[in-house]
Amino acid sequence: MTHYGMAIDLKRCIACHGCTLACKSVNNLPNDVRYNNVLTDGGQYMDTARGTYPDNLYRKYYPMSCQHCENPACVKVCPVGATYKDPETGVVRQDSDKCIGCRMCMSACPYTGVRSFLWEEPKYALDFPVGDADAPEHVKHTVEKCVFCYGRLAKGETPACMEVCGALARHWGDLDDPDSEISRLVATREYEQLLPEMGTKPSVYYLI
Amino acid sequence: MVEKAKQSRGLVVAGAIGAAVALVGIVFWFIQLSGGMVQTGMRNLDSWGLYITMFMFFVGLSAGGLIISSIPNAFGMKGFGGISKVAIWTSICCTVAAIGFVVVDMGQPLRVWELFVYSNMGSPLMWDIIVLMVYLILSVVYLVFYMRYEAGKTSHVAIRVISVVALVCAVLVHSVTAWIFGLQQGHEFWYTALLGPWFVSSALVCGTALVMVVCIALRKMGYLALDQAYIVKMAKMLAAFIAVDLYFFGCDLLTSAFPGGSGAEVVDMLVSGPLAPFFWFEVIGCAAAMVVCLVPALRRNGWLVAASVVAILGILCKRVQLLVGGFQLPNIPFANVEGPYAITFGGNGVDVAYSSLVYWPTGIEWIVTLGILGLAFALLCFGLAWLNLKPVAKEASVAAKAAPEAPAAA
Repeated sequence: MTHYGMAIDLKRCIACHGCTLACKSVNNLPNDVRYNNVLTDGGQYMDTARGTYPDNLYRKYYPMSCQHCENPACVKVCPVGATYKDPETGVVRQDSDKCIGCRMCMSACPYTGVRSFLWEEPKYALDFPVGDADAPEHVKHTVEKCVFCYGRLAKGETPACMEVCGALARHWGDLDDPDSEISRLVATREYEQLLPEMGTKPSVYYLI
Repeated sequence: MVEKAKQSRGLVVAGAIGAAVALVGIVFWFIQLSGGMVQTGMRNLDSWGLYITMFMFFVGLSAGGLIISSIPNAFGMKGFGGISKVAIWTSICCTVAAIGFVVVDMGQPLRVWELFVYSNMGSPLMWDIIVLMVYLILSVVYLVFYMRYEAGKTSHVAIRVISVVALVCAVLVHSVTAWIFGLQQGHEFWYTALLGPWFVSSALVCGTALVMVVCIALRKMGYLALDQAYIVKMAKMLAAFIAVDLYFFGCDLLTSAFPGGSGAEVVDMLVSGPLAPFFWFEVIGCAAAMVVCLVPALRRNGWLVAASVVAILGILCKRVQLLVGGFQLPNIPFANVEGPYAITFGGNGVDVAYSSLVYWPTGIEWIVTLGILGLAFALLCFGLAWLNLKPVAKEASVAAKAAPEAPAAA
């Protein structure tokens, strides 16, 4: 079985937000909707540091999107199965034609802010669609999130955020295959995961 | 007779006003749907709001009312002087309101049929939908049976059996509502095994208080005659339920605060943080209501009504604490690019966004909420006017049993 996962090297990430923009354009995301965010673990605002100069001042970035958990809280609570785990790949997918807009998944997901509800009729910066020809449709009043670019995976490609990462911080592959690059990285490098205490078993690893 | 016609006309007029408010609410619901839910105060990081708060609240009112009316019948105790039918009807109206609040909260109400076709039986929300439907149908059946029983057409055993079933279902419906929240490990404030029993105790508080207010009001209107002894009995029960509810709250706060970890944040948020007004209103209000119910000299109707209203508002404050409090503590409080869909009061950094209430309803939410309240009120008034909810006088029911052929003869 395949279990796709991602490893993000926090030592390499320079917070250029390229992944966020690649994701936005490939998936033809409406204005103000982002599946991926580069979060600043620092001060109050983006790109601000925490601590005191010069000894312990620090700034750290977490590129964060859906963690594609092995034990996803969202899948359990969706009353109609509009968010579901793909049995072939382990990707947590989203069906916009099925979602009833109850937002149960949004409150169940412990990872603050990875899910977006389309609060109004989607508006776009350009008056023509961008990104992949088979980019997902965006339906008002439904919940969306990163699906590891499922359409691209089906064509044998990798997620868009992988392609553009200029710092080569992102690694992608099959966690079930012990010889894959990602499995070797997870086995050899020190890593952390977001909120492991929630028991969701995320498939995203942060190499530190 | 003239008196009766006048009274029923008054109820119909009140009901019509409620219905008019409901219509306004429906118009604004359509505006919410067509213009988008961006018009509400809800956002990605506080994705539920006033509607779900009111949903919790009304399920509680409904369950509490039904429990109060079915306990005496179920256990063969002396009832509250025949108020059962009024209490069941009040519960039915509250259940309708609760369902209404879920519907207006949905983004895609036209897809509601999917709930029955693609049901994910593992979802607590699905459990709640099923239990709510069963509960609504059962309440109606219960009312019908009760009327038949009073007319002498159903046996005492049958009414006891259905009372027990209704009682179990009422307890279940509120526990399941609690599990929608209490089974979410992602929210420190919600994730506690106590939430189920605690919801039931809160339901008993506001259900008893509501039935007491309705009974005193209906007695004043001359709709039903009720011995003061029954009101006193209800007041004592209300005091007991408040004590249990506050005790549960104390247990929960202690368990949260004692380890001093992230649970301490929850306690801070309630006691001195953004939710403090709601917390203290609930605690002080409910305690004061309990005193009124316990001190014989204070058990006058005006005071009892005030105590009941304060207790109901106290429970409403608790619902607000639960709902908003669940979103008030983010799991990943890292700085992000701000956007109009992220959080209700965003834009000034992480701590500022979370320093006061993360959510407050907008005008459209208030109006839609008022519309649903109008709907429930209209149902209540029309039911009181047109259904035979008055207690049957002792002699009349005995006469009906003694002479079952009387209606046929007439």
